[in-house]
Amino acid sequence: MDAPYAIEMLGITKRFPGIIANDNITLQLRHGEIHALLGENGAGKSTLMSVLFGLYRPEEGVIKKDGVPVQINDPNDANALGIGMVHQHFKLVECFSVLDNIILGVEPTKGGFLQKDAARKKVMQLSENYGLAVDPDALIEDITVGMQQRTEILKMLYRDNEILIFDEPTAVLTPQEIDELMVIMKNLAREGKSILFISHKLAEIMAVADRCTVLRKGKYIGTVETKSSSMEELSAMMVGRNVNFHVEKKPARPGETVLDIQHMSVASRQHKKDAVHDVSLQVRRGEIVCIAGIDGNGQSEFVYGLSGLEPLKDGKIFLDGKDLSRSAIRQRSILGMSHIPEDRHKHGLVLDYSLEDNLVLQRYFEPEFTNKAGFLRRDNIRTYAERLIEDYDVRSGQGPVTAARSMSGGNQQKAIIAREIDKDPELLIAVQPTRGLDVGAIEFVHKKLVEQRDAGKAVLLISLELDEVMDVPDRILVMYEGEIVGELDPKKTTQEELGLYMAGAKRDEVRA
Amino acid sequence: MKNLLKRKGVQSLIASLLCIVLGLLLGYVVLLFINPAGAGQAILAVIRNFLNVSKANLQLKNLGNTLVKTAPLLMCSLSVLFAYKVGLFNIGVAGQYVVGAAAGLYAALQWGWGWLPCLLLAIALGAVSGAIVGMLKAYQNVNEVISGIMLNWITLYTANMILSGVTEQASPYTLHLRGNADQAILPSLGLGNLFNKHQYVTIAVPLAIILAIVVLVVLDKTRFGYELRATGNNKNAAKYAGMAEKRNIILTLMIGGALAAMGGALLYLTDFEQWSVGLSSVPGMGFNGIAAAFLGGLNPIGAIFSSYFIQHITAGGAFVDKSMYASQISDLISSIIIYLCGFVLFIKYAINTGLLRSEERALLRKQKAAAGGNTEKGGAS
Amino acid sequence: MSADTMQVIQQFLLLLQYTLIFSSVLMMVALGGCFSEHSGVINLGLEGIMVIGALGGALVMRYLPADASGLVMVLLVMLGAVVFGLVYSALLGVASINFKADQTIVGTALNMLGVAGATVLVKAINTASNPDNPSSIIEYGLPRQNFLVTFKIPVSVEGGGAERFLSFEFNWFLVVAIVMLVAAYIVLYKTRFGLRLMACGEHPQAAASVGINVLKMRWSGVLISGVYGGLGGICYIMAAVSQWEFERGVAGFGFLSLAVMIFGQWKPSRIALAALLFGLLRALSNVGTGFAALQALNIPGGVYNMMPYVICLVVLAFTSKKSRAPKAEGIPYDKGMR
Repeated sequence: MDAPYAIEMLGITKRFPGIIANDNITLQLRHGEIHALLGENGAGKSTLMSVLFGLYRPEEGVIKKDGVPVQINDPNDANALGIGMVHQHFKLVECFSVLDNIILGVEPTKGGFLQKDAARKKVMQLSENYGLAVDPDALIEDITVGMQQRTEILKMLYRDNEILIFDEPTAVLTPQEIDELMVIMKNLAREGKSILFISHKLAEIMAVADRCTVLRKGKYIGTVETKSSSMEELSAMMVGRNVNFHVEKKPARPGETVLDIQHMSVASRQHKKDAVHDVSLQVRRGEIVCIAGIDGNGQSEFVYGLSGLEPLKDGKIFLDGKDLSRSAIRQRSILGMSHIPEDRHKHGLVLDYSLEDNLVLQRYFEPEFTNKAGFLRRDNIRTYAERLIEDYDVRSGQGPVTAARSMSGGNQQKAIIAREIDKDPELLIAVQPTRGLDVGAIEFVHKKLVEQRDAGKAVLLISLELDEVMDVPDRILVMYEGEIVGELDPKKTTQEELGLYMAGAKRDEVRA
Repeated sequence: MKNLLKRKGVQSLIASLLCIVLGLLLGYVVLLFINPAGAGQAILAVIRNFLNVSKANLQLKNLGNTLVKTAPLLMCSLSVLFAYKVGLFNIGVAGQYVVGAAAGLYAALQWGWGWLPCLLLAIALGAVSGAIVGMLKAYQNVNEVISGIMLNWITLYTANMILSGVTEQASPYTLHLRGNADQAILPSLGLGNLFNKHQYVTIAVPLAIILAIVVLVVLDKTRFGYELRATGNNKNAAKYAGMAEKRNIILTLMIGGALAAMGGALLYLTDFEQWSVGLSSVPGMGFNGIAAAFLGGLNPIGAIFSSYFIQHITAGGAFVDKSMYASQISDLISSIIIYLCGFVLFIKYAINTGLLRSEERALLRKQKAAAGGNTEKGGAS
Repeated sequence: MSADTMQVIQQFLLLLQYTLIFSSVLMMVALGGCFSEHSGVINLGLEGIMVIGALGGALVMRYLPADASGLVMVLLVMLGAVVFGLVYSALLGVASINFKADQTIVGTALNMLGVAGATVLVKAINTASNPDNPSSIIEYGLPRQNFLVTFKIPVSVEGGGAERFLSFEFNWFLVVAIVMLVAAYIVLYKTRFGLRLMACGEHPQAAASVGINVLKMRWSGVLISGVYGGLGGICYIMAAVSQWEFERGVAGFGFLSLAVMIFGQWKPSRIALAALLFGLLRALSNVGTGFAALQALNIPGGVYNMMPYVICLVVLAFTSKKSRAPKAEGIPYDKGMR
């Protein structure tokens, strides 16, 4: 027990057909510390954790618990060793109660019959000890995300886990909930639990972690003490070079209004309240307006309402003075609305289609691509695709006929951007256009947005990333609980002020 | 060779052939189990079908019989594969086939309509039947498999009730068209003469094949097909791109319903079979259509061959030695083949994984060879 | 009592008898489907499983000596049906769980394979014992009596004549069905196994993350559906007749059970009620013409037969958006590459 490390993963290598997801990675977690695991999407964090959890078996490497080598073949083994994990996407059964979810897998039974009373007592005790308020009889589908996360933490504590893994735990939380979580994590560490905190948010890591291990593209980069490090250093380790945090751009020269939204409301699918309530805003030629906010404050529904994916409950949308409030998606597109969607796999691409077929997704019906009899003009589609691939540097195995599914995320996004920009829109709506992309691709996307602005288009950016919100747009509108609560000038405001608006701590009366 | 294996069409073909071979093999094992003495003979009888008879004339006649039943099966499989391209599993094909059969027969026998109006009525009602499933799916999000199954039975009982008005006296079978409604029998255009004056070989056969080609062209070459396949692969993306998703779902199932119903009419308007109003189960033709669609690799041209194959062995069942085996041995074989069709995705996955592995090995060998070249002087390995 | 009154009562008893037995069949098979779906596998092959289960039971009756004791007979017949149903459902398990096959295709194949396989086998047996009997019929008139308790209530009818009886056949399968219902309820809601099973049908990744073997649970669900389906099958063919022609399959009872399961919203208690309703409708199509009042309405049997499907379709149309169907049903579970 005197071994310095609770868990050691030494020289872990995991290969999948075609890629090496983990290449000789080392991770050493001390007793009672909060240890951050930092890396971009695709750096190999999830694979490493799946190895630790026995979901994947590594080709090489050893895992040691308290200095003793162990075999972990499935989650049961991990659990037996006291390893527990709060997954990024909660592993909760929606129609089960909180209590049922906590005991699932380690149910107390007598002769196969469930004995829930003892379990309930233990859960209530734990919930009190660690300040994890939950209602054991509530169904998961009825409770808040914060309480769902507390249920996940209780799942680990109920199993007396000593090593707690948090996989991107703050992505789904409000700022207050994030603060609460930080306190909970520190409490747990103080009680002697060893915590592995997976994140790519530097500020959180600096605030809560003792040490930080950095991965990049499947490789181990290093482990540092956060006290003696800086965000700049960590970020450099994570991306491999200093990030160009500032987007190069000339001052905006806005022209006349292109998009005019008046009192727009969109009903929610989840609850009775409006997801978007009484939103009014304008976007002019030659400016980039950014809607900032924490995930889940109505941004998605706002875009659905604007693009026509969801009907408006109330309000009007004018594009170049034309009323589009009730128009079909196709109509809006033809009149000059382009939309880089939030989720490129859900909306942006037909993954089983070839690249060329995806590139004409918004235009296949035009006379250039379909003749009068309704037949596709394949030659024209090919020519058009080849031009876009050239202009936008979309890389793929076999050019126009490559299956979209087989392309990298960055190139998929490039293809969507090419398609949407080349439509020559009046208004370009870009929703989290850099999500999941590597730094090079992010720069490319930002450059393209600024180019569109400079070409006199109206650009509406919806973003969750503070860096992006501060650097790319000419105006910032903050959305909180479905309403616009503030308008900020990115040159004058600070991240702290922006944060206050996003967390609902501050709001202005924004002009209608 | 490897490049050939990578092609989707080739993979489908391999998978289908594998299903057929395994299906026949398992059928043979069952025969062996029942009576080893005649098993080889019996399985050959199934495979040879019309070749079991020696006279050329009779061979043609038997081939004709098989073809008469291939036409409706092909229509049903087209219905299934068309809907499947849009991501819909049209299990309602079985009922839509019944719609066509009942509509055609009733219009012919009760109202004395000619074959063309009968056929058109069948197509129209089949489309309506498909539209019900489509609308439930589009507007109420009802799973098309479940609603299809429900409609299959509703249709069967309705058909039995309606057709009990046009049965032979004291018999559950509907009247023969010949003699009672000659105007409703599909024209042969001399095709029957090719098959030793086969009175049942009609335009149904070429018509079904032409429709297979039409389906192929619509799916692959037209704007409509582009939209349908996009909807099938990713309906969210299709909606995002402004395609009328609900309209396309409904339209697809209407077309699927029309194709299957046309199949029903194409069989019963030849007068080859009579409908029994005592039927207590939905006829298997539609379900066989599912088999044919998947066995044909979900390709309309593939469906032509798979439909023929299934009818070929079904007819072949009639030639087994009845003193030892039941003719249903061919039903058994075709249902084993359908079952095996469920494994097609796995077979393709196995082919692809195998290809990937061998490529990786080749790469490793290359690297090793390169490394070996550098360290040659070092000696070992 | 007048002769007419007596006739009405007798008809009513007959209707009750059919309703109870058909409901038992539907309930057992629907509960089977319920287990399979709660584990995450859609079982469209219930019709085929019923046929094979029925075959298993019928073969026991054909081969068991007629002088076997009643209880032994009853138990062995049920065992035969259970074993056949269980083994047959494994075909669904292998394909849909281990090979991630399309469950709709496999279910459809099982339905066709069930009838074809049973027909081929029974015909082979019949021709082997008597070359002039190439039928697919198995008779079980005598053994069937072991499952029945016939009540005969003497009544005196006005106008004299010989003494006449009201008769009612009680079938032990009713008791079996009720036991199977209670068992299903307890297993699903009161045991560790049930909690884990349902977790696999709702969110298999969550179940796997707490160390539950999803594939094993799904196999359990499918095999249990085989047990229930097999029992339902033998119960069905013995419901009213003393021989069965296997070429005929089971006349859609497997599909009707699917409708019962959906109408019962995947919950055992509601499935029981749904089974009663649909069983009544099925019984009406068989014996409804005996009632003067119903006769006057002149409703063809087909209408009663199709009513359950119509009801189910209407219910689906209005409830599909908030259906309680297991969320992960029909989606093959992929535990990742190992």
